[in-house]
Amino acid sequence: MRLRNVILLYRVRLRVRAVQELFAVLGIAVGVALLFASQIASTSLDGSVPTLINGVVGNMRLALVARSPQGFPEGLLGEVQQLPGVRSAMPVLEQRATVIGPRGQEPIVLFATNAHFAHLGGPLLKHFTAAQIERQHAFALPLPVARTVGLASLQSAQLQIGARKQPAFLGAVLTESEVGGLIDSPAAIAPLPYAQHLGGMSGRLTSIFVRPAPGREREARNGLLRLAAGHLNVQAANADAALFNQAAGPVNQSALLFATISALVGFLFALNAILFTVPQRRDLVEDLRLDGYSRRMIVEVLLFDALVLGVVASLLGLALGDLLSLALFHVSPGYLSFAFPLGSLRIVTWQSVVVAAGGGLLAALAGVLIPLRADIFSRLALEPGGRRSARTGSYAVPIAGVLCLAATTAIVVWAPKQAIVGIVCLVAALLLLLPSAIRAMLLAFGCLTGSRGGAASHLAFVELRSDSNRARSLAIAATGAIAVFGSAAIQGAHANLQRGLNSATQAVNSYASVWVSPEGPGNLLATTPFPDRFGPTLARMPGVRSVQAYRGGLLDYGVRRTWIIAPSRTVAQPIPASQLVSGDPALAAARLRAGGWAALSQAIAKEHHLHVGQAFVLPAPRPQVFRVAALITNMGWPPGAIILNAADFARAWESSDVSAYSLTLMPDATARQISGELGRALGRGSALSAESALQREQRGYGTSHQALAGLTQITSLVLIAAVLAMAAAMGAMIWQRRRRLADMKVDGFGKGILWRALLIESGLLLGGGCSIGAVLGLFGQLLLTHALAVVTGFPVVYSLGALAAISNFGLVTVVALIILAVPGYLAACVRPSIILQD
Amino acid sequence: MLQLSKLVKHYRLGEEEPVRAVDDVSMSLAGGELVALYGPSGSGKTTLLMLIAALLRPDSGTVALEGRDVSALSEQQGAEYRLRDLGFIRQTFNLIPGVSALDNAALKLLGTELKPREAHRRVIPLLEQFGLGKRLHHRPEELSMGERQRVMIVRALSTEPKLVLADEPTGSLDSRRSREILELLTGICRDRGVAVLLVTHDPQAAAYADRVHALHDGRLVDYEPEHVLASADAN
Repeated sequence: MRLRNVILLYRVRLRVRAVQELFAVLGIAVGVALLFASQIASTSLDGSVPTLINGVVGNMRLALVARSPQGFPEGLLGEVQQLPGVRSAMPVLEQRATVIGPRGQEPIVLFATNAHFAHLGGPLLKHFTAAQIERQHAFALPLPVARTVGLASLQSAQLQIGARKQPAFLGAVLTESEVGGLIDSPAAIAPLPYAQHLGGMSGRLTSIFVRPAPGREREARNGLLRLAAGHLNVQAANADAALFNQAAGPVNQSALLFATISALVGFLFALNAILFTVPQRRDLVEDLRLDGYSRRMIVEVLLFDALVLGVVASLLGLALGDLLSLALFHVSPGYLSFAFPLGSLRIVTWQSVVVAAGGGLLAALAGVLIPLRADIFSRLALEPGGRRSARTGSYAVPIAGVLCLAATTAIVVWAPKQAIVGIVCLVAALLLLLPSAIRAMLLAFGCLTGSRGGAASHLAFVELRSDSNRARSLAIAATGAIAVFGSAAIQGAHANLQRGLNSATQAVNSYASVWVSPEGPGNLLATTPFPDRFGPTLARMPGVRSVQAYRGGLLDYGVRRTWIIAPSRTVAQPIPASQLVSGDPALAAARLRAGGWAALSQAIAKEHHLHVGQAFVLPAPRPQVFRVAALITNMGWPPGAIILNAADFARAWESSDVSAYSLTLMPDATARQISGELGRALGRGSALSAESALQREQRGYGTSHQALAGLTQITSLVLIAAVLAMAAAMGAMIWQRRRRLADMKVDGFGKGILWRALLIESGLLLGGGCSIGAVLGLFGQLLLTHALAVVTGFPVVYSLGALAAISNFGLVTVVALIILAVPGYLAACVRPSIILQD
Repeated sequence: MLQLSKLVKHYRLGEEEPVRAVDDVSMSLAGGELVALYGPSGSGKTTLLMLIAALLRPDSGTVALEGRDVSALSEQQGAEYRLRDLGFIRQTFNLIPGVSALDNAALKLLGTELKPREAHRRVIPLLEQFGLGKRLHHRPEELSMGERQRVMIVRALSTEPKLVLADEPTGSLDSRRSREILELLTGICRDRGVAVLLVTHDPQAAAYADRVHALHDGRLVDYEPEHVLASADAN
């Protein structure tokens, strides 16, 4: 068939079904938007850290990196430059800091190097050629950060590094034209001597980036290893990107899960919308066949329909998805920013565009062709009503559903790592079992109404058993089922995780009644070191009974940036009982206090094949041999945690620095009093603040809640999309049935009874689908919670979130019914005379 | 039983002359009588049916069933009237696909106080009487066109109406099945004492009636069967 003819045929038909096509376009667009937005969220998170790292390292290949923020002597640079195989080397000092301006404060990472080395680095460091920064002893900030804290070029600001707050000069504000994609990174740059002065790190560096001579990388690496002597890390220049990928794994997994569920809801949304146009297309197929069109020609005509629908809807969906990602999906998991320079960068990859648009096209193709396959390939059906074939009564579909359910159970028990596959199996089971479940529900409802029900409920029952609405009814029920399933599964797992994270936060903070540590949102894990010279002052403060040093930090161990927790030997419970996975709690605590023992997260132990009692070398600045005292959860930090005592930490880190003081108070003293006294006691310039354990807990809950808030937003969005899809599809189904309603009115049925019947029918369908979704959603909760606990080692608290399932089920059903009440009433008001027009 | 007195219904379409769909029609129908209303398409037959079924209000004149004026009923009263006193057999097959003949036939009874099971019990003898005893649980798609029309007739008769309005009940049937349906309708009149108003433009169908009225441009005119049959044969 000639393309011009196909286009003409399409144009002619479009005039009479423009509204239905518009619905279909909107339906697919919503699906594409959900998929696209969740993809952008995922790629933005993945790309944020690597973009910044590339902005710093440029074409450097190797790095010599300190294992603690205290760094190593600057003199090492000369030795590195002398190594065989090294073409060039760039000194870098990297410090976590907080910039304070008139309008607020923001955590940043301060990168510093020498101006004459800067040309070796990436686009960020190349700005050291800006002569005024070098001369004026100033730092530079990206424009968004400067704007947030209310700073402009050549203004004074305050920088907090460690426990010190001091004035600093903002020499330049970097714009997008200067740093490109790095504009959204929380990175500041400064000349090396100035940054060393600000951080109290004179003569020290945190890393040296190396560019080997061509073909001599191995030689350069070996030289670096010799220099490091087991006290420094020798790694790829962009190794932080791999560490970040590992840390962001659980977030990415949940993003993938959301993308899958969003795609499914989107596809069902689209299918519901396309079913609006099926009657017209069915008539078209019949007309074309009567006119002598071959099957191939009919398929060509329908394919063109699907193509136009898919392309227009995908374009609209991509635009909507872009808006969604800006409005809702931009929140990055704040807890990861404690260890990685996370920015608000939005990264849209061509793969995301292809996946979302491809999904839209596929939905359009499936939605147009699948409902019509019988019409295309069956013999001509000229007799009205003779087109539908009898019910097949096949058992293959429910059996396949049961098998999928069995596969999910097997994954829960034996392979929780494959949680995504398990969820896909569970969704397949849901869709395959749905028709049988709806049939069983109708059977039960039929028995009930047969003896006791009223006319409206029986009318609803009769209508639901009708073949004419079967495909659309199932599509509506499936939409509700998937949405409630997804939201119940995710919300339940989310709640279990939140409870687990809260218990971990509570456990760590209970080491003291009052904490004194460097202030700022970036130090919630108490990993910022500062010199141990405030202890005696604190001990003399009124109301303070005792002061203990707490040490903590982040240490790269294998592919994990682990959280090191080092409480004083005197704390009551160095290993929180709620976080213990394996080992005797009393014995483990005693060993930890004795020294030389450490409690490891289960995932770290598994990675290094360690069991309780075994020895291992902790790759600290001074590597030390420890024995495994117990296995613990990851304490809420995705890469995992290691607990040792504060004295062991000082030995292994070769530093007496502390990262917090844990205070025990007199019975009549309060944290507020201590906080008030602290400023006077420590003097101006001190960035230490006092917080009660409860205040720190609340801050911890807030951070984990913020990290998981994105999940809640996406769940809500999926639910809203499902409610709209169900209400629209059900409304259209009811609206298209006005002729039959008119017929019933001719038989004497009043609008009240018809309206009730429509609402009961809708309620049954929506409630049936959603309740099946809720039941399997509980199974999904179990699967996800188990996977989180076993695979990532998160401290989850198991609890079946039946309330979340029931509330989602109720919410979707009731809201959809409320929306439906209006078209239902209008349809019930149809004039009976429409079926008797002369 | 049914008395139409000087019924008038005009439609106004824009600025044009009003269409006189029903113009001064008076006629009566006794219980047990089958009266055919013959007329070509557009003659006003369906408008007259809608006036009788209280789906339209006349501009003037009255429709009385057993002395009760039904031409000015409220929506609720009109529904009640159609449910209790009227049976409506349509030309189109308004059976619900995928649902058994029994359920389809009992549908009208659900508007009364009867429970679904009682409604089923009530229509089963009727379905058996109409030769559908072995087809109770068959779906419309599995029934012949004649059987489907019989299910529609059972639905109309299920509430034991006094008056049955049959709008082209044989319009989609072949001549043998048409005869069967018309014989059934005649039987209903005789055996149940129900008044049947058969609206048709088929002269063969009109031949089954006790009386035939012809409608032309909304007015009752003399029916001339020989002339009509001759034109039908010529066609």
